[in-house]
Amino acid sequence: MAKNEKKGNAFSNNPLVKAVGSQQIVVLLAVVVLFLVFSIASKSFRQYTTILSLLDTVYYIAFMAIGVTFCLITGGVDLSIGTGMICYSLIGAYLVVHVGVPVWVGILVSILCGVIMGFFNGFLVAVLNLPPFIATLCSMMITRGMGSIFTGGLSVAWPSSGSAQGAYRNMFKLNTGSIILPIGFILVLVATIVMSTVLNKTRPGRYIIAIGSNKEALRLSGVNVVKWQWLAYVISGLFTGFASIAYAGVLASSVAPGAGAGLEMDAICAAIIGGTSMNGGSGTIIGTLLGVFVMALLKIGLPFVGFQANMQQIITGLVLILAVFIDVLKNKAR
Amino acid sequence: MKKKVLSVLLSTAMVATMFAGCGSKEASSDNAASNDTATEDTADAAEDTADAADDTADAAPAGDMHFEIVSKGFQHAYWQAVKKGAESKAAELGATVNFVGPNTESDIADQVQMLNNAINAEPNAIGFAALDTTAALDAIQTAMDSGIPIIGFDSGVSGAPEGAVLANASTDNYAAGALAAEETYKIIKDRIANASGAVRIGVLSQDATAESIINRGLGFIDKIAELAQADGKTVTVEGNDKYVTDSKVGKNDGADVIIEVAVPASVDASLSKTDCETILNKEDTICIYGSNQHSGEAMVSANETLQKFGSGDDKVVGVAFDSGAVIKGAVADGTFAGAITQAPVAMGEKLVELLYASANGESVENTDTGCQWYTADNMNNEEIAQNLYD
Repeated sequence: MAKNEKKGNAFSNNPLVKAVGSQQIVVLLAVVVLFLVFSIASKSFRQYTTILSLLDTVYYIAFMAIGVTFCLITGGVDLSIGTGMICYSLIGAYLVVHVGVPVWVGILVSILCGVIMGFFNGFLVAVLNLPPFIATLCSMMITRGMGSIFTGGLSVAWPSSGSAQGAYRNMFKLNTGSIILPIGFILVLVATIVMSTVLNKTRPGRYIIAIGSNKEALRLSGVNVVKWQWLAYVISGLFTGFASIAYAGVLASSVAPGAGAGLEMDAICAAIIGGTSMNGGSGTIIGTLLGVFVMALLKIGLPFVGFQANMQQIITGLVLILAVFIDVLKNKAR
Repeated sequence: MKKKVLSVLLSTAMVATMFAGCGSKEASSDNAASNDTATEDTADAAEDTADAADDTADAAPAGDMHFEIVSKGFQHAYWQAVKKGAESKAAELGATVNFVGPNTESDIADQVQMLNNAINAEPNAIGFAALDTTAALDAIQTAMDSGIPIIGFDSGVSGAPEGAVLANASTDNYAAGALAAEETYKIIKDRIANASGAVRIGVLSQDATAESIINRGLGFIDKIAELAQADGKTVTVEGNDKYVTDSKVGKNDGADVIIEVAVPASVDASLSKTDCETILNKEDTICIYGSNQHSGEAMVSANETLQKFGSGDDKVVGVAFDSGAVIKGAVADGTFAGAITQAPVAMGEKLVELLYASANGESVENTDTGCQWYTADNMNNEEIAQNLYD
């Protein structure tokens, strides 16, 4: 794969590859190959319901990953998204179930919590100049404890699909009676298109990319670097808020305070597999979405071919090493 | 300049955490205070009835006896029910309890720290439900050296040094798993007998470390195997190695009944949902058993996508353990055939009774706090409903 990154071979000069990006093509192929391998290896995998399971997993990872891609592109990272997602979901659920607010208010509060945490993270990183890794590691711990304090340590379940307040679950899975339609994927696609446009076609997006490639040059050219770096973390917070709703919408389980550590890695890995550089300065939202499919396929598919839980973690770790290695090779080639 | 700003911020943050710490302590002392008032009430009542009680109530003020209880978590209502039972019993006996637990049931190190803190508080006795007995062995030894009696509850503390844990107040989890198997077997007996090929029974376990979870799994696996073998079928156990090795049956290729055990890499709702979906998607699956609230809820999550649980020959029989709004709902609407409930309130009460007795130097012995099978038909009966929580 590394060879493809070198300038001037037939693959990279192909106009289609140029338009979409070579890593995206490779990741798309990986998604197709993984899907075929699992389908051939397991009869149980070749079902419509597997696609539903797969998409259930895609929703919340995708929202987190789209948001965190912006942080990664600035050369930073947001580690608070996993525990944050659980925390915001928990706060919303508590308000709906124990305080009795309407579901849509709970949803708005969950999203708002994400935005507030995004502002906080952005402040730490952009204004106080704390290293993003440390700053967001701290907010990861803060969100981990916050949900627990808010609910008094209780786990809370969002209203279930059968109940009077359960209609919001139709945002992700529309049960028509005979068949379940995964319409949440439309939301993910819309988010991908919108954020892709924001990143590539608008001034804030270009500034965010420029911060990642050369922050000092951007600052010297008179751009308010603090503002745009801050924005990247707010976007990450906002999308973590969306993810918290997706997580609640596809899982009937009660949300347990303190959970969620490790979920951020699914999203960050997805972005890196999708071609976002760990050093910042490059990355695409479409690549991230493809990376999300790789992560979700590994999560859903590996159990079907008989891999036990711990083996799944090892394989996912190896895939990530490969993705980061490709990133390193790309940087060398530049 | 930047450094100054940073240091100011850091110190503000530190002061803020100090206040936060004080805040939570205030809350817990509030709890203790409410216990005190409750005990005073009981003491007052005693004064009315017996003259002798008058003297003791004055001589030994409420809160004289103090117990530390370290549970496996806080997040499930189950623990809240245990806490409720413990606190009401303590109030009745004129003692105070401090009930703590780690953030999640994966936080083994946190729990060990809590046990150490509990020992440092020098209570009259400690109640302990171990997440991982091996990790807590050092702390248990310390308690033993300081002469603080330990009473196990819920999953208990197996493998502790001789004499460290005086007694356990717990559900006999192996028997509870076996009860689930007996009730399940009644429902799936005919399907096993009439099956043309092999049939698969899934077992979802939250982990392979906690004694209670392991025993509920093994109790179920062994009983199903025993009943199926009595009907002339061969049985194999697959999946998680711990369960395969510890079950009485083990691995036998080409068996009629396949029992498949799935354990997630960490206690995460989405991972357990995937485990359940994987088993549900296999065509030979006729039944899935989830051995605690976490696993039972994961079954409901999976069913929202796959819609395979229910009654009828083309459906998969779902059997869960514990309650909570989600599982209760699934039992009530017939998604699950039934579930096993423990008696958490009774467990809390029994625990404090044992703590009290051991602190007074009386001899104590293991107490089974019981379990029940509940279905849509009997879940509203008073004797069962009191143990079901939201």
